[in-house]
Amino acid sequence: MSLTRRLFLTTTAGSAAVLTLAACGGSSDSGDEVADVDPSSFEKGSTMAKLADAGKITIGTKFDQPLFGQAGPDGDPVGFDVEIGKMVAAALGIKPDGIEWTETVTANREPFIENGQVDIVVATYTINDERKKVVDFAGPYYVAGQALMVKKGDDAIGGPDDLKDTNVCSVEGSTPAQNIEDNYPDAKLVTFDTYSKCVTALNNGQADSVTTDNVILAGFVKADEDKLQMVDKGKTFTKEPYGIGLKKDDDDFRAFINDTLQKAYDDGSWAKAWESTAGQVLPTPEPPTIDKY
Amino acid sequence: MGSLIASRAAIGDAFLTTLFLAGVSGVLSLLLGTLLAALRVSPYAPLRTVATVYTEFLRNTPLTIVFFFYVFVTPSMGFTFGYKTAAITALTCYTSAFVAEAVRSGINSVAVGQAEAARSLGMSFSQNLSLVVLPQAFRTAIPPLISVLIALVKNTSVAGAFSVLELFALSKRLTNVHSADVIAILIGIALCYLVICIPLGRLAAAMERKVAFAR
Amino acid sequence: MTQTTSASRNESGTARPLVTLRGVQKHFGDLHVLKDIDLEVSPGEVVVVLGPSGSGKSTLCRTINRLETVDTGEITIDGRPLPSSGPGLAHLRSEVGMVFQSFNLFAHKSVLDNVTVAPIKVKKLPRRQAEELGMSLLERVGVADQAHKMPAQLSGGQQQRVAIARSLAMQPKLMLFDEPTSALDPEMINEVIEVMTGLAREGMTMIVVTHEMGFARRTADRVVFMDAGRILEVAPPEQFFSEPESERAKDFLSKILHH
Repeated sequence: MSLTRRLFLTTTAGSAAVLTLAACGGSSDSGDEVADVDPSSFEKGSTMAKLADAGKITIGTKFDQPLFGQAGPDGDPVGFDVEIGKMVAAALGIKPDGIEWTETVTANREPFIENGQVDIVVATYTINDERKKVVDFAGPYYVAGQALMVKKGDDAIGGPDDLKDTNVCSVEGSTPAQNIEDNYPDAKLVTFDTYSKCVTALNNGQADSVTTDNVILAGFVKADEDKLQMVDKGKTFTKEPYGIGLKKDDDDFRAFINDTLQKAYDDGSWAKAWESTAGQVLPTPEPPTIDKY
Repeated sequence: MGSLIASRAAIGDAFLTTLFLAGVSGVLSLLLGTLLAALRVSPYAPLRTVATVYTEFLRNTPLTIVFFFYVFVTPSMGFTFGYKTAAITALTCYTSAFVAEAVRSGINSVAVGQAEAARSLGMSFSQNLSLVVLPQAFRTAIPPLISVLIALVKNTSVAGAFSVLELFALSKRLTNVHSADVIAILIGIALCYLVICIPLGRLAAAMERKVAFAR
Repeated sequence: MTQTTSASRNESGTARPLVTLRGVQKHFGDLHVLKDIDLEVSPGEVVVVLGPSGSGKSTLCRTINRLETVDTGEITIDGRPLPSSGPGLAHLRSEVGMVFQSFNLFAHKSVLDNVTVAPIKVKKLPRRQAEELGMSLLERVGVADQAHKMPAQLSGGQQQRVAIARSLAMQPKLMLFDEPTSALDPEMINEVIEVMTGLAREGMTMIVVTHEMGFARRTADRVVFMDAGRILEVAPPEQFFSEPESERAKDFLSKILHH
């Protein structure tokens, strides 16, 4: 297992390099992005102009989320969120070494954005109305969904409606846990602070299933295919649109990021980023429709 | 602010859970810790060794690992506790080691002559300890013991990582649901801990004043 | 030595000594603190142990109720060897009173509780009976009016008299006094010495380590002189004080008596 993981990390880092090169190679309209963006091309006083002038951007991401944002051996995170962050930076003319990665966890994402400790957050950050009260979202750049994972060969649970009177494990304070609490009250929710503890509980028989976003479960199944399996081939029963969080009411910046994402969808760099990271485990989806609210 | 008021019932429940964890493990830790301190000064070397190994081992192990042991390891050995029971067991095992050290330092502060006088009167080891040495040791041990108990109150938050919905776990749950109110929620939760810990500190000061005259 | 003759001179003496030490040796690390100690004490006898500081006299006193262990040699009380530990040792100690230089009253208990705790807990005396006994003993040592105070509120002389009452409450066969007046202000020494003299008159067997030469002269049946861990002389007080045999004793007396 550790061999698989090491191999996986190495591949990801390698792919990131390839991706950067590809970006530098340039396509029809983005050209030599990283080198050639002229700060004065942005409206004076805009966030884009400030960041491009400084040549630096601070991006919050998760450091413990396999496939999306996981700190690698050198301390820099790797994953799909990280690639998305690099795309935004590149569109501002900021090279990867001009990006400062800051670890954000569920509880501190909003304060970090509000206080300006980070410029944007790309951290498996589900867009919802409650969060929109204090921050704005660009994207979504991916739509995940809640799924279930059980022990290999356990077919007793076929979906969320079979959870009644079973122990279902998730992380305290996460949206999937809240969803079980709110919509499946007959299930016995067991919560820990990390998913790896849920996996331990599942292996021990203390939990009958583990639930969270499909992308997270996929990472665990990949790591331990002999013991774990997705319920119903990873079918999702919620929609978790992942967005890029930024300061509320910075509409120009939000529009700029949305345009950047749209370009990445159109020129195939989004799909490349996916394939080099989460695509190792999950099939490549169609890019989601951007919500330009 | 609004979300705090809306969640007051949940906060009340979590507050009681935290208080329950701290209260039960506090009492058990005081008992077990005092017993351990007594064993550490007992005349029988094997008992001293057992108590020393226990104290050193638990005092120097991260609390999370102690929790992990009772939540995930003992079930595979055939002992499955409920999550609250596991939390109380872990907190008690961990805290009792610190209680033992505080009480032991109290014992060491009691003049040797006190124990010699007790022995000279024909008291057994346990009479000596319970009638003469420990009552005096606790006077010295009160300030460090209160510190240990305050640490225990805050350590109950580790239970939140192991399926017990106490204040800290609730704070995670609330901040996820009410992301707009994160700061207010965290301040509210912190205040709940203060409500438990500040009276403990006051109690310590009052008890110190009360026993000071005898010195 | 001369113990047997001395013992036989004591009128209350019986055939069997109450305390015997035979061939006792003790080291503190490299320091040889007790060397070849042989001593017998008869019932009712008052033995005063004299000697310069560091001569081992306190250690000798403390070995008799096993507050100090010995390396080799045998100590018996009432013909029975000292048990090394456990209930046997505790029972023996309950029959041997000990009075310390620093009083060692239980700091957290009232004067009366200091006197009654051992009768109640060790001898299982009913509380009322123990308190009656305690009050009568406090009366006897002259501190009954302080019964409900804490030890720290008493003068040193009063504390030491309470300590004597505390030992007497166990109705011991033998009383050990380890420099009972050395920590006292001079004006308080007499009140303690008077209590001790009274005890001796009533026939209590006593081993007293002290520097109070007056007490030794008036009250001792025998004086034991120690130096450097050895017993150098054992003699009746009149003989010891007028014609000490050893140079060390002469030297010691000349220094003490010139005070």
